[in-house]
Amino acid sequence: MKRKKDRHRPMRLLFGLCLFLGTLTASAQNNYTISGNVKDKINGETLFGTSIFLKGTTIGAITNEYGFYSITAPKGSYTLVFSHLGYQEISMQVVLDQNQKIDMEIEESSTQLDEVEVTAEEPERAILRKPEMSVSKLNIKTVKQMPVVLGEVDVIKSLQILPGVTNNGEGSSGFHVRGGAVDQNLVLLDEAIIYNTSHMLGFFSVFNADAVKDLKLYKGGIPAKFGGRVSSVLDVRQKDGNSKNFALTGGIGAISSRLAAEGPMFNDRGSFLIAGRGSYAHLFLKLAGEKNSVSFYDLNLKTNYRLNDNNKLFLSSYFGRDVFNFDGSFSSSYGNASGNLRWNHIFNERLFSNLSLIYSKYDYELGIEDFEFDWISSIKNYNAKYDLKYYFSDAFKLDFGVSTIKYEFDPGQIRPTGPSSAINELQLDKKRALESAAYINAEHKLTDRLTAQYGLRFSHFNRMGGQPLSEYANDQPLVYNPTLRFYQRTDPIGEIVYKKSESIKKFSNFEPRLALAYQLNDYSSIKLGYSRAAQYIHLLSNTSSVTPLDVWTPSGKYIKPQLSDQYALGYFRNFRDKMYSLEVETYYKTVDNRIDYIDGSDLIGNNTIEREILNGESRAYGLELLLRKNEGPLTGWISYTLSKSEQRTFGGNAGGPGINNGNWYNTPHDRTHDISVTGAYQFNDKWSFGANAIFQTGRPVTYPNGQYQYEGISIASYSDRNADRLPAYYRLDVSATYKPNRKPHKKWKGEWVFGIYNVFNRKNAAAISFGQNFETGVNEATRTAIFGIVPSVTYNFKF
Amino acid sequence: MKLYYKILFSTLLLGIVSCTDVIEVDVPEGPIRLTIEASLDWEKGTSGNQQTILLSTSTPYFESQNNSAVTGANVLVRNNDTGAVFNFDDQNDGSYTTSSFVPILGDSYTLEVLYQGETYTGTETMMPVSDISAITQSKEDGEDDEALEVNVSFLDPADIENHYFLRFQSRVDRLPELFYIKDEFVDGNEVTFYYEKIEDEDDNIEEFKPGDTVDIVLLGISEDYHNYLRLLVEQFESAGDAFSATPVALVGNCINVDNPENIPYGYFRVSEKVESSFTFE
Repeated sequence: MKRKKDRHRPMRLLFGLCLFLGTLTASAQNNYTISGNVKDKINGETLFGTSIFLKGTTIGAITNEYGFYSITAPKGSYTLVFSHLGYQEISMQVVLDQNQKIDMEIEESSTQLDEVEVTAEEPERAILRKPEMSVSKLNIKTVKQMPVVLGEVDVIKSLQILPGVTNNGEGSSGFHVRGGAVDQNLVLLDEAIIYNTSHMLGFFSVFNADAVKDLKLYKGGIPAKFGGRVSSVLDVRQKDGNSKNFALTGGIGAISSRLAAEGPMFNDRGSFLIAGRGSYAHLFLKLAGEKNSVSFYDLNLKTNYRLNDNNKLFLSSYFGRDVFNFDGSFSSSYGNASGNLRWNHIFNERLFSNLSLIYSKYDYELGIEDFEFDWISSIKNYNAKYDLKYYFSDAFKLDFGVSTIKYEFDPGQIRPTGPSSAINELQLDKKRALESAAYINAEHKLTDRLTAQYGLRFSHFNRMGGQPLSEYANDQPLVYNPTLRFYQRTDPIGEIVYKKSESIKKFSNFEPRLALAYQLNDYSSIKLGYSRAAQYIHLLSNTSSVTPLDVWTPSGKYIKPQLSDQYALGYFRNFRDKMYSLEVETYYKTVDNRIDYIDGSDLIGNNTIEREILNGESRAYGLELLLRKNEGPLTGWISYTLSKSEQRTFGGNAGGPGINNGNWYNTPHDRTHDISVTGAYQFNDKWSFGANAIFQTGRPVTYPNGQYQYEGISIASYSDRNADRLPAYYRLDVSATYKPNRKPHKKWKGEWVFGIYNVFNRKNAAAISFGQNFETGVNEATRTAIFGIVPSVTYNFKF
Repeated sequence: MKLYYKILFSTLLLGIVSCTDVIEVDVPEGPIRLTIEASLDWEKGTSGNQQTILLSTSTPYFESQNNSAVTGANVLVRNNDTGAVFNFDDQNDGSYTTSSFVPILGDSYTLEVLYQGETYTGTETMMPVSDISAITQSKEDGEDDEALEVNVSFLDPADIENHYFLRFQSRVDRLPELFYIKDEFVDGNEVTFYYEKIEDEDDNIEEFKPGDTVDIVLLGISEDYHNYLRLLVEQFESAGDAFSATPVALVGNCINVDNPENIPYGYFRVSEKVESSFTFE
């Protein structure tokens, strides 16, 4: 009975809300609403972030992810303006004496030379009035202008040169936001959860730039509609597909190539996009006699169908895979797959809704031929979401909705693959969980200068039964041994088998979110924000960099949900008629119940993870500075982050001082300084140039503090975790793009992109390992550097 | 498992795009401590009376280990079940020996070392070991289909938890190859491990050639010692690389009774052992 009540709570909340809205609407009769969609005139893609306003007033709106807007104003005559940077501004006279629908198509500002126009999109400038802060937005056009390694445009790498975002060194998967861990980022591709953002261990991201429309990274101030991760949300949206003309885009590079096709469908009621990408470097390696091979491919699909003016369906999906093969002795393949069916429904000119049914999965397989067995593991989820936005008035807008996610975890199974295999078949306990949430969020213009965004998310997590669970004396899966001074695993005293209908453990949390923007004058504003977030699933990883073979695990009896509180304060300013913008932010973030791993923890194929971990905490704080030049032939930015990220873990129920003696220590992603300068220069119609310069404090590591002889070898001794650092990292990349002369009527448009990554061929240490020289036995430090100077050439085309 | 994915990712990083070189690094200097290498290994079919314990001190990481032998300590081992005491004589070169040790499977033994006025102790139970069932050579197994490897097989007893320490030492090389083995995934089966050297010009590693001899030692060990070795071997092989855990201090089974902060390094083990050597043809 108890469960039933919990499940219905979000629905009741929603119902109450609708009643509330009904009364609000009734009290505002002398206002009228203009609503509609905004699209690109050339390709018909809906535009996100177009600002629409009534000239001479402060009344305005910004289009949502689906290009929808709604403006409400008192009866009267107005000039309605559609403005989107890089596009021609459109003004029109409207007489507002009834609700009306105005769909608009806007055109890029210099049609004859569309690629020459190099200006930041509106969302990339400092937006002064909206309380939204700690957000990094990148238009895919900007991403494509940056120099890249190996000629492949990379969305994730582009984010890493913005303040507050780092990686764990070249050749590491994922990204870190404001000192957070990789698993603390919620990564969404068309709303589907992506569990691993990297191909080939971080050399490429899983996002095909030809299929992506825009992306938005919330580093803090996460709106109430998102939840489930404590550090950030990366919201990536795929293109809908050209609804005007059939078009082909593609690129041919040294490592990989890509091709995308898009066009109108269903008698102009819809459009489609299909994009594929694959690497073929492994073919060359094979020709060169290399026995090991690595490759990846991915596929993006999207289609939409307009039922009528108020109803639109979208279907999108993604499938990606990495394949490794090591000389026939072992092989591995892993990847994400997702699908999403969405229904946009406009109830009326002020109430917009979207219902999504989403599936996503991440799995890997590891085949070990030498010992004749396969190791497989997966995480799957089914997600239903209903989101609504109510444009009550110009001063008050409401977002609200519900979401539920059913998770299925398969932490691992071993299958012998041959009759002579010495390995016994094994299935680790599968786990199930249900994560539900309801939220409401208001954007409220309190005065002409002060705007607030306040909301609340209620989240509930049910770790469901259907598995056995080990029991320990005094509920201690591990205990501190005070004599030998280390954490020792205890043996289970028994096992409880939970039925599928039972619940192992339930958690719920209220997550308040608040943001305020105070506009000081026409060109500057101050914003502040607070947000609390809960995270119920965790990636088990005790290595410095996460690997594709790490396993996700839900909260439960021994693992508590992570809870974060983040405070942020920012100053935003535009200079010289928006030619320059400056964003300065400072933040302080704490995370409770961050899992930490005991000395010597063993996570592989382990059914009793609780014997390897303790619940700790982490904190991060920093200052971020971003100065952009938005217009002119030279655009770009300077970004600087000063930050600290630490963690601490006490013994808790296991007793003892805790991990690292209970002292704070640097997380592997702590970076004191992180500076990057990025520039794009449009030389003439044919040539444009780009450059990146990056400087970063080295990654925290643990160096040996002595050695001793044992078993005929030199054993290194260590003390405090992550107390040392790799040498500082720096690098310069350049690129040049050449567009050959084009006849204006020719459909084929091609461009050559020449890039040099790491121009100075600096050997940046990705790692330093310590050990004995095989021949002499003398201890030495060995540096691993991943990329030296890497030239690349890519040919891109549009047809 | 761990080994495999480490090889998997490290090979990708090292083999395909990266480069490595030896560099100078300043490392911190920790306290100098006593190291106890008390390995009482009883070879099957012998009396096991002759035993040696090695004592030394730790040194800074990049310093030579030549002068680290500890002399002048008092060393004894006691059988906790029979009460018998075995005194180890100082050979003045860091080794302490006895010729009267009596090994009994399943008995508990305690080590006592008195050094510079501080007493160090450790306790361990003598663990049995399976016989080696086969030693063979092959080329097609292992990572490289063209390189020679030696395969060692033994039969794990079913339905009991066993832990093993398998050590290969090629007579032409300086460093051994160490395996820590737990029967969790292979309980009751015949298990085979191989030692293969992959040619590496940078590190001057050559493949095995006919005529090369490898000494093989298989020990039955306790679970705690297995866990100690696991961390030791993992850190010895790959501490510092990005796919390894943060390296940490190894905690052995010896404590300092008088000054608990001054923890000794090393381990006190009492194990049954089988030994063999193999020459490639």
